[in-house]
Amino acid sequence: MTWQLFVFMMINGLSQGMLLFIIASGLSLVFGVLRVINFAHGSIYMIGAFLAYSLSTILSGQSLIGFLILLMVVPPVIAILGLALEVTLFRRVYREEHLLQLLLTYALVLILDDLVRVIWGGEPRSVARPELLAGSVDIFGMALPSYNVFILVVGPMIAIGLWLLLYRTRTGNIIRAAVSFPDTLGALGVNVSWVMTSTFMLGCWLAGFGGVLTAGLSNIDLGIGMQTIIECFAVVVIGGLGSVGGALLGSLIIGTGLTFFQLPFGRWALVFPYALMALVLIIRPWGFFGKPER
Amino acid sequence: MKQVKGKVLAMMALVLFSAAFTLGSNAIASDVIKLGFIADVSGIGAPFYKSQKAGLDMFIEEINAKGGILGKKLELVVRDSQLKPDVGANQARELILSEKCEFLIGPTSSAVALAVTKVSKEFKKIIFFHTSNAEALTTTAFQPYMFQVVPNTGIEGRGMAVVLSKKPYKKYSLIGPDYAYGHDQLNSFKSEMAKRRPDVQILDTVWVKLGESNFSTFIPTLMAKKPEAINAAFWGGQLSAFIKQAKPYGVFKETPVSSLFDLDMLRATGLDMPEGLTGYARAPFYAIDTPQMKEFIKKYYDKNKEWPADWAIMAYDGMIALTEAIKKANSTESEKVVDVLGGLKFNSLRGERFIRAEDHMANVGIYAGVTTKSPDYKEFLIMKDVQPVPAEEVWLPVEEIKKLQSEQK
Repeated sequence: MTWQLFVFMMINGLSQGMLLFIIASGLSLVFGVLRVINFAHGSIYMIGAFLAYSLSTILSGQSLIGFLILLMVVPPVIAILGLALEVTLFRRVYREEHLLQLLLTYALVLILDDLVRVIWGGEPRSVARPELLAGSVDIFGMALPSYNVFILVVGPMIAIGLWLLLYRTRTGNIIRAAVSFPDTLGALGVNVSWVMTSTFMLGCWLAGFGGVLTAGLSNIDLGIGMQTIIECFAVVVIGGLGSVGGALLGSLIIGTGLTFFQLPFGRWALVFPYALMALVLIIRPWGFFGKPER
Repeated sequence: MKQVKGKVLAMMALVLFSAAFTLGSNAIASDVIKLGFIADVSGIGAPFYKSQKAGLDMFIEEINAKGGILGKKLELVVRDSQLKPDVGANQARELILSEKCEFLIGPTSSAVALAVTKVSKEFKKIIFFHTSNAEALTTTAFQPYMFQVVPNTGIEGRGMAVVLSKKPYKKYSLIGPDYAYGHDQLNSFKSEMAKRRPDVQILDTVWVKLGESNFSTFIPTLMAKKPEAINAAFWGGQLSAFIKQAKPYGVFKETPVSSLFDLDMLRATGLDMPEGLTGYARAPFYAIDTPQMKEFIKKYYDKNKEWPADWAIMAYDGMIALTEAIKKANSTESEKVVDVLGGLKFNSLRGERFIRAEDHMANVGIYAGVTTKSPDYKEFLIMKDVQPVPAEEVWLPVEEIKKLQSEQK
């Protein structure tokens, strides 16, 4: 492998990792604060993708503005869907055992997936990339789609935004406190229930954002929710459940790993995220950045 | 006490009512021939399903308007197998046992077809395959209750090797979906190419999960070894996604891609489809010049307001063959119909065809051509210079068929 090809593959893999991070960080965040493993995160992400498709058919034309509107409108709508789900369902299972939470979120997967089938049907859809992002960028004589470059720019922005929110604002302090000392936080007079609701909404916002980006990247169909949630699990297990930094690391490892292992190992490259996940579970069950359960 | 009595009475009434209802529907059942269609309604096969259904519906409407067949009307019952073999097999059983279907119609996915053909064998119910086309259906998984009116993966893979062996390219990379269809297709291509052009090198074969539509990690791998040409065994939504994503990776600038350019895929890809690519179709309406095809196209367009895709044509052809067999056997009993299948001649939309006795494969070949824009169809590309590769040129010889069938477990 020439170093040019290496750099090209690296950039390409990082852009895949960034997209995965945007979705997986939502799952991780929600687990960190709510202690619920939200199986339905993938389905929520899928709804975001299909919503982006529907909206794009109204906003005809392949303008960059139209695409940015999708990115601004769809995630908040998904966050509001999250609000409804949190208030009506999730809130009731926080103090229940994990099995019950799993049953609830898995039931939600079935319901939401069928809802998508009823509303949008089984046909694969996609959002046309805006003209500005439809071409390619030259990297050492190899063409990289500008859309992948766009993801590579947006991903770190989201990561930095999340970091600022979590470590530089009062809201962030409260969210982090809710992860580590939920009981103390309540005793200090913080409305813990509201913290949980808004964290859940933030998680859904991230899922919706990832959904819009995916709709422009590839075809979307009824299978993407399940496929993505499995990948997200691999990410958060590797990075540590509840840790956003861990989600970033896990996503980038998986994104670049899949790209590089494809060349020598072919179809066996698919095994890589799960093999790594198994390895992490054996050596460090709480993941790279996670904390052991007390 | 009175209340309980009332409840018991109500229950009895319900039981009697439902019994009468089932009796009623059984009585009707003898006047119709039910066809159970195990279809891949959702996912990457969705556009194919729409076309298949439109073709079947049209045939059934036409024949029912003429009084049906042997005095019985045809009725279609559809189930969605979601590209999942286990789901498809269960639905085939349900269609036979609960819905009392007398004949089955196959799905889009070859993986589902391989599971469903076992059910057809078990219950001795005839099934025909019009889209799913694993060659194994006619060889190692052969059973006499099935027949195929779609060029199988062997005919397609070897057919494309015949076409591409005339081109100057020496270095190929292959890419395809990682299941029966993709493997059969690319293996047939490789072995025929090796025979015809020993100088051709296959650099790499990239396998992608069926249904995966994000090719970002696969396309750089495919291009890394700098092939002169690519043969892709994708189909439908997956192929369309591949072509759309390959374009900004600069694939088509240097490297032509060959694959299955059926009408639904061409429509879905629209003007993103590059010109000048050599590919093939199974039944391109615009390139088949038979009187029955002309009539079919007109009727189909009037009814559906779109041109008939390959899938509509082949499903329709399957129905022609099936009804021809029922007429010849003068019975709807599968035992009697299966006796006339071998050697059965039928006048398909693609012309006169017959079903080979040894493997129940109709002599249907592929149509190879080069993509081009056409003034007649503004929204999608078609193929020009279309040349048929007849089945007889590339299907497996009978001795080989028999050898493979004897290896059956």
